[in-house]
Parts: sequence; structure tokens; C-alpha cells
Amino acid sequence: MTDPLALDPVLPERERSRLPFNQERSHDERYRAFEEHVLAGGKVEAGDWMPDEYRTSVLRFVEMHANSELMGVLPERDWILRAPTLRRKLALTAKIQDEVGHAQLLYRVAEDLGKPREAMIDDLLAGRTKFHNVFHYPTRTWADIGVIAWLVDAAAIVAQQALRDSSYAPYARTMKKICWEESVHIMHGRDVVVTLAAGTPAQRAMVQEALDRWWPPLMQMHGPRSDRAKDRDLYWRIKAKTSEELRQEFLGIYVPRVRELGLTLPDPELRLDPDTHQWRYAEPDWAELRSVVTGHGPASEARIGFRVAQREETRWVRETILGPVMAA
Amino acid sequence: MTVQAGRRAGIEPGALDSALQAPLGELLLALADDDFVLGFADSEWTGIAPHLEEDVAMSSLAQDELGHASAYYGLLAGLTAGDADRIAYDRPAEAFRHCRLVDHGRGDWARTMTRRWLYDTANAVRLEALAGSTDRLLADLVVKVRREETYHLLHGEAWLERLASHAGEPRRRLLEALELVGPDAPSVLAPLPDEAALVAAGIQPIPSVELIERWSARIGPVLAGLGLALPPAAPAALDPATARSGHGPAFLALYTEFSLVRGLDRAATW
Repeated sequence: MTDPLALDPVLPERERSRLPFNQERSHDERYRAFEEHVLAGGKVEAGDWMPDEYRTSVLRFVEMHANSELMGVLPERDWILRAPTLRRKLALTAKIQDEVGHAQLLYRVAEDLGKPREAMIDDLLAGRTKFHNVFHYPTRTWADIGVIAWLVDAAAIVAQQALRDSSYAPYARTMKKICWEESVHIMHGRDVVVTLAAGTPAQRAMVQEALDRWWPPLMQMHGPRSDRAKDRDLYWRIKAKTSEELRQEFLGIYVPRVRELGLTLPDPELRLDPDTHQWRYAEPDWAELRSVVTGHGPASEARIGFRVAQREETRWVRETILGPVMAA
Repeated sequence: MTVQAGRRAGIEPGALDSALQAPLGELLLALADDDFVLGFADSEWTGIAPHLEEDVAMSSLAQDELGHASAYYGLLAGLTAGDADRIAYDRPAEAFRHCRLVDHGRGDWARTMTRRWLYDTANAVRLEALAGSTDRLLADLVVKVRREETYHLLHGEAWLERLASHAGEPRRRLLEALELVGPDAPSVLAPLPDEAALVAAGIQPIPSVELIERWSARIGPVLAGLGLALPPAAPAALDPATARSGHGPAFLALYTEFSLVRGLDRAATW
């Protein structure tokens, strides 16, 4: 495992204290200096002074990412025991372990911004914070495991690669490690899909059916188009790309790869416009996305309920290690 | 020294006496099925362990066991001109040869940890002996497996101490677990039906009765130091006819689950 701190040098305390926003000045002067630093491509470390808006935005962004890694474990976890060969079983267990590891790294990044891990998990389980839409859907067949590891992870990696240059340096460093691991998941997922696509007619039908089912949530995953000028996360360089830019990038890479396998995508309007070089597609169901991420997806209640029950069942273990106060 | 001499004069791959094939196959199957079933049961914690750091650790342990099982199945496949996946997956439930200790369900965290510690300590004694096996392929594999098992032992012992030293629920749950799985713990080391042939050929250099003594001598003081004791062995756990057969409902449920996808079409490539 790569130590994320080893990926990019962190300025020593002495040098960071020379940055104007880290010096004793009025709030407005600090704010201006911070803004100038970030807009010019400067990085922010956990111990730096930062405006409340920046801290809150990074925390919300990273917390949602951490929640998604944690909840994203559950749809695949159901298939650990069912993996049909020794190699698949090992690959799937290792992949899910990576996701748990990502959740841990991301919760640590978020904790440094001032919110304890247990408070984040409380909020997640009470429905006060969100996780990605795709993890609100059930898994029905082994082919789902291939489609999730290949295409859900691919859609995620497109977004995550753009975060490796986030202005919040601890997050950017963590994303470098995560992207590397996700690229291995994509290979595992593609291998499952290719094996099924090249298999018996029943296996092929299984993977096509999974693809048909997962495609609408995948198209919704990056979110509706947004106005670049109004997006505060873009302004603060917490993220670098709009939803539509990410979706176009995803379609550009993966539509040809899916079609190469002789599989079809359930959108008759899906095509590359030769004039604009943009993908055209049927408008995703944004009402569904809103409903799903606010906890009304087909598996939302079951997933949260399962986490709540498991957390309750292991509370005594956390109390043994951490003491009763910490282990909420 | 005799062990080393035995290794140098070991049985080279392909030079195995045909009368020893079946007993060696049974030994490999026992080793493989133990790690396979334990690895499967422990992998159930992936994603739901008590906290994230422990989740990652537990998942590594499960993957190690599955990796070891896979390697033992590979040796067996080489011996029988079979296929590791077919051996692992395509048998009826009653053909599995894992021991009674790993036949229990994973239970709560205390049972998982207690069972892990009992298994790891017994397995360490078994592997220590097999590292000197005259079967060169087995001995070489065991040397590699033992390197990883060292960390399992440290992890298990840390949890045993932690649970034992916390009065109240942790210790109560540990005692319950010890009472439930403890009597079956010696089944890891119980003699195989053809042990005499394996011992005579040096494939299993040390008879199980001696392995059980070594193991008891090692874990006794650790348990005593924590105010614990291993319950008396269940007669079925030491009997070659029952130590690795007659599997219970927890394994049958696990078997149903891991056969679900592959059972759709056992001739297909997955």
C-alpha cells in the first residue's frame, strides 16, 4: 500500500507559516490571500487557515465520497460468498477490501476538517448525508458484479482522476492512491464481463440484462448539467470538471468498449455527434436521481437498515477498544 | 536434523509411490478445505467488521486463507490431474474434509476471534511439522504459507488478550465462544484415516498424537495466563472417522451460497 503522504511533498510547517493567510491578519485580508492562493493553483493543507465556506465545502464533498465507498461495499459484498471460482473470489474480496480501505482514508481526510468519524456515520445512517445513487440499487446476478466493477468504477474513476489535482492537498493525495487501486478493479470487472459475454448464451443474456438495468443509473451518476460559473466547488478548485464533462469523458471511453463486446446499450438516442464531438443521449431521469439519493431508491432502506443492524451488533467490540463514550 | 535429512532425500514431484497417492490426497484436501471453509466464513466480515481498520485486517486474513487453499488445491490437482476450481467447488457437501472446528458458523466477533486463534495455533503446529515433509512440493509450499501465518497468530493473540482482559460483555462472549468451539479445536490435528502410511513415508513427519501434545503445551500457559482453560476435547473431534465429516447446518448454508452462481452451469467458464 502506498502511503498517500509519500506521493507529494507536504511543505514543512515553517514554510507554510509564511503563506499570508496563515499569518495573524484581519479576516478579510486572510480571505483575500487564501482566495488568491487557491485561484492561482495553490494547495491547501489540513493545518492551514481556511474560510468556513471552503472548509464546509471540502468536508461535504469528501464526506459524501467516503459514505459512497462505505455503502458501495454492500451491493458487492452479497456476492463474496457466491463468487464462482477461486480467482474470482480472491479478486472480489480484495476489491471490496480496497473500498473499505478507501472509506477509511477518506473519513480520515474528512476528520481532519473537524467532524469525528462516528458523527459522520451517525449522519449517514440517519439519512442526513448522502451517498452515490448507484449504491441504492440491488444486485440481482453475478453479471452485476462485473458491470459494477467495470462501469460503475470507471464512471467513478473519471471523476476521481479529475480530483487528483484538487486544491485540498490531503484529498488530492488520497485520490492518487485510490485511482491506482480503482484501475485494478476496472480490469477485474472487465474480465468478468468479457468472460460472460464470450460464454454460453445464458451467460451472455445475463450480462446484457445487467447492462440494461445499470445503464440508467450510470447515466445519472455524475448528476445533471450545471452552470460552471455558479459552481462553488469548481470556483475553489475542489473539483476540476462539471458533471457533463465527466459524463462525456465516460461515454467517450466506455461506449465503444461496451459495443466492441457485441453488447448493446439501452438508449436509442446514444450516438457521437460528428459536428460537436459530443455524445447525444436520451435525457436521464433526474427525478429518479433526486428520489434515489434522498434515500428512496429500490435498495436504500435495506442497505441503511443492514448497516444499522450490523453496527448495533458490533457496538460492544468498539466499546472494548475505544471505551463506551467514543463508540457511538 | 533428521527432518532436514528427510527433506534432502525427499520425494521429488512425480516420484510418489502409487500407494501413497490417496493418503497424500487426503492430507492435501484436509489442509485445503480447512483454509477454504475458514476463509469463506471469515470473508463474511468484509464490509461489516466492528470498525474500518479491523475490516481491512480481517479481509486480508480471509484472503490469505483462500490463497493458501487455492495453492493446496493446486497441488492436489497436480497429483490427480484435476482442476483446482473443480475440486474446490464441484463436490457434494459431504465430500468436504474440513475439520469440526471450522464447521461452526462465524458467529459473533468473539467466536470468530476465538476460533481463529485456536485454528491458527493448531495450524502453526501442523505446518511446522509439514515444513519437514518428504514431499518436496508440499514442504516448499508450507514454508511460504508459514510466513503469512505468523501475522495471523499475532492478530489472534492480541484479540484473545483484549477480550479476556475486558470484564463484562467481552469476556462473557469469549467464554461462551470457548465453550462452544473449544471442544472441537483438536479436530484440526486429529489423525487422518491413513495417517500411518503418511507418517511411515515421512510425508507427515510427526504423528498427530504428538502434534496435539505440542499444541496443548503451547496454548495451555497462554490460556492459563488469562484465567482461561480449553474445555475437554469432544470425542468426535479426535476420531478419524468423525473429525472431518458429518458437517452441520452452518457449513451446508455456506455450501449452498458458494454453489449458487457456479451451480447455474458447472460446465461454463466463469
